[in-house]
Amino acid sequence: MTRALGWLAVVGLVAGLVMGFAVAPREVTQGNVQRIMYVHVPSVWVAYVAFAVVFVASIVYLARRAEGADHVAHASAELGVLFTGLTIATGSIWGKPTWGAWWTWDARLTSVAVLFVMYLGYLLLRGMIDEPERAARYAAVLGVVAALNIPLVHFSVYWWRTLHQPPSLMKPGGSSMPRVIVWALLVNFAAFALVYLYFLARRVRLLRLEAEAAA
Amino acid sequence: MPDNWGFVLAAYGLAALVLFAYWRRLIRREKELSASMPGHPMSAPASRTSLE
Amino acid sequence: MEHRSKETLNALVFFALLLLFVFQFALGPDRERLAAALPGLLWLGFVLAGLLGLGRTFVLERENDCWDALLLAPGDKSAIYVGKLAVNVLLMLVVEVLLLVLFTFFFNVDLVGPLPALALVMALGTLGLAAVGTLFAAMTAQVRARELLFPVLLLPVQVPVLLATVKATEAVLLGEPLSAVAHWLKLLAAADVVYVAAGVLTFDFLLES
Repeated sequence: MTRALGWLAVVGLVAGLVMGFAVAPREVTQGNVQRIMYVHVPSVWVAYVAFAVVFVASIVYLARRAEGADHVAHASAELGVLFTGLTIATGSIWGKPTWGAWWTWDARLTSVAVLFVMYLGYLLLRGMIDEPERAARYAAVLGVVAALNIPLVHFSVYWWRTLHQPPSLMKPGGSSMPRVIVWALLVNFAAFALVYLYFLARRVRLLRLEAEAAA
Repeated sequence: MPDNWGFVLAAYGLAALVLFAYWRRLIRREKELSASMPGHPMSAPASRTSLE
Repeated sequence: MEHRSKETLNALVFFALLLLFVFQFALGPDRERLAAALPGLLWLGFVLAGLLGLGRTFVLERENDCWDALLLAPGDKSAIYVGKLAVNVLLMLVVEVLLLVLFTFFFNVDLVGPLPALALVMALGTLGLAAVGTLFAAMTAQVRARELLFPVLLLPVQVPVLLATVKATEAVLLGEPLSAVAHWLKLLAAADVVYVAAGVLTFDFLLES
């Protein structure tokens, strides 16, 4: 089953590359550097999915104390941090030629950076607790609080940047994107989602093994 | 506007590297753990690494 | 309990005084720069004091091996959370008022005029800080490297509160009416509700034996 998922992910990635480079056109204003968006945007979407999974799995763990839920939460948080880091890095690489800067404190970047640090803290907490049951419990509480905080972070950062501020120069996707670009983004999102699911399955399996080994 | 293919390559390359490295770590750790656990179906020395 | 609070309060008062020196030295004698940075400096001071003070919420229980007593206490453990939260809010408000007074004297800024509006912002912000801080203090009390982990966990979660309070304070100090920053106040109120509710609902899980 996992094997099939893995192969599906590979197919998806190939399809994504085809869409991103062969099918999608050269963007009018930015040039070909815009193609980085086909990695950057799906990455952040998958990260949000991953953190949503952490939220649900954390609640399930607190309610049912199912070890499986704990493993899913742990693995998903790890993947979420991975994809968030990728989002920031690829966004930065895109930003340098487009905006002229590796980093700005605009709303989106700041939100994602806060997200990254929050869940990095989640992983840190898990690392600092030796007893597996306590680690699972505490991490679940943090997983719930962190997720509840996400909308608060979004609003506060958005208002912080946009009120009394001129609108940011360039957004990765305008309000009316050509359909081809939308399709390319969606295909790449599906590909990344498959990668996430495959990694999740393997990571959970590895966590189960690690738990058995420690027992 | 120049195309900045270098940056495109850097971004895609970084993504590929990170994903591949993570995948490799998962595979390796799982092999290590299953090999070191007695009675585990994967711990037979002749087991092949399948892309499972 | 009282002894710990007095001990913490004394240390925080001293800390607040030291912060003033640090701000002065870091920003230099430029009066205008100081005035412009005032809202940020104020809340920086509050947050730093909060990190120190809130982190000590469960120090008594930890040091005297009373942690198990907490775990075995009968009844609704959320009451412990609410109790600790109330004490923390009070503690922080005292230190904040002191910082306010110190700022007024040492940096010659007028904080009396906008005081009522400022008080509201401070109350809302402090509740948010303390709500998560008390919860995370329990979370990190029995964890390795708790002095490091506590601020690392608390600061990102407090970003909305920090942004909202600084922006609102900025407006208030400029003499703007509270209605101008109604959206920030609503955000703070919403955050407070979320944080306190989360604290009350999840505290039990932290104190299981």
